[in-house]
Amino acid sequence: MTAAPQPTAAGAVASLDDVGVRFDFDHLGRVVTPGLSRFRRITASAWGLRHVELRLDPGEGLALVGPTGSGKTTLLRVLAAVVLPDEGTYEVRGRVGSLLATDAGLASLLTGRENAELLGVLAGLTLEETRAQMEAVDARSHLGAAFDRPVHTYSQGMRARLGLSVVQAIEPDVLLLDEVFEALDHEYRAVVEQLAKDVRARGGVVVAAGHDHHALERVCPRAAWLEEGRIRLEGPFEEVIPAYLAA
Amino acid sequence: MSAGLRSRVRRTLDLLHVLTVSDIRVRYGRGRLQAVKWVADPFAALGVYLLLIIILFGSGTEAVALSLACAIVPFQLLLATVINGAGAVNLRSSIILNMKFPGVLIPASAMVTESIAFIATLSILPVLMIVYQVGVTFAILWLPVAIAITALLALALAYPATLLGIWYPDLAPFVVSVARAAFFLAPGLIALDAVTGVARDLLPINPLTGLFEMYRDAILYGVSPEAWELLVPLGAAVLILLITVPFYRREQPNLAKLVG
Repeated sequence: MTAAPQPTAAGAVASLDDVGVRFDFDHLGRVVTPGLSRFRRITASAWGLRHVELRLDPGEGLALVGPTGSGKTTLLRVLAAVVLPDEGTYEVRGRVGSLLATDAGLASLLTGRENAELLGVLAGLTLEETRAQMEAVDARSHLGAAFDRPVHTYSQGMRARLGLSVVQAIEPDVLLLDEVFEALDHEYRAVVEQLAKDVRARGGVVVAAGHDHHALERVCPRAAWLEEGRIRLEGPFEEVIPAYLAA
Repeated sequence: MSAGLRSRVRRTLDLLHVLTVSDIRVRYGRGRLQAVKWVADPFAALGVYLLLIIILFGSGTEAVALSLACAIVPFQLLLATVINGAGAVNLRSSIILNMKFPGVLIPASAMVTESIAFIATLSILPVLMIVYQVGVTFAILWLPVAIAITALLALALAYPATLLGIWYPDLAPFVVSVARAAFFLAPGLIALDAVTGVARDLLPINPLTGLFEMYRDAILYGVSPEAWELLVPLGAAVLILLITVPFYRREQPNLAKLVG
């Protein structure tokens, strides 16, 4: 069953059963989708994810580790329903808050406030609710006057702070973070850690990918080591990371 | 209306609102010059075509600028929507890669964005009516119908334009050329009455012909439009929507793969 994330009072559960995501390409290396395959011939395929099995019960936190291109971001995108699996089944219940793109999903020509309004509504809040949250988002982001400036003037860290503040506003049941710690200063890392703890304490789940293992360990008791789109090892963080680093 | 339906309608309107407002700010900038830029564009297009028609046919035609505006104003909405739609997904790639949302609204918001400029440019019509001393008749009541059909045709064109923009982004300039060719294959520069021969029989096949003539009937000639003038563009819009929306919906889950 491929369920779109829906708000639920019963806590969040994410599960993937034999999930695979395939990328098809034409002779020029351009991505070919099923619709496009009527007009463009597929000459090569690659699996971004293959045979991925995962289950996240309420309150769990999972770190995704692995080399660049191992499938961490694709897995997060499946959990966010941004990418649908080409094989297998998945289920994600609860409101999803995600920071997956390097620019935190922000439009660079819009101000911080305008981006917050856009992302809040897209994430599932009503326009009224989003506007009611605006001052809180402003305060939490610690952007000051920059909140009303275009995002293209922001540093990577400022973008991440704005994205996180919006995520906090939507009170997610499923928190998905892709290399967020790498962009943040120490002060704001503590904010992320607190947000992750709050989500898990509410019965939600946290899935975070990155290369800063110390930061990941503070929010995720479990870890999954991905390699070439497959989970090579999954278990307690203190067991998976040494195995990954030793490989 | 049930609570569930009311909630869905409200959600759709909220989404369209934020997508459109953000689109306007990204595409047209901000500040007072924004409105000037919107309105100036169709005026500039009108000026260019007016110059062309005077060079080609002389200035003898009655109310030439008003007749031309009856074609330029709706055509600008269609053209702007096609251009907007072709770039709409790439413009929102950062959001598409970050979160799930009803991507089916992306082409719709392209149309709504350009409709706001279109509403502003409608002001050309009463100005030219005053200039040419064209009186208002009961036929003006057909103008809202013409506007509604224009909007529907723009919405319909937004979906194939968006699909083409993500599948073949290199072809975007070609799409604009096709749209311009469609304008010249309709009585845009001169009214249908001024066309003779085989072209007179063939032009009504083009949905733009009925659309342009509808505006002229309501504003310039003061008569009710003929049935075909309504039905051809309306039928074309419905047909395009019926074909392309399901196609777009099926492709929507793959947008992240295409822009990622």
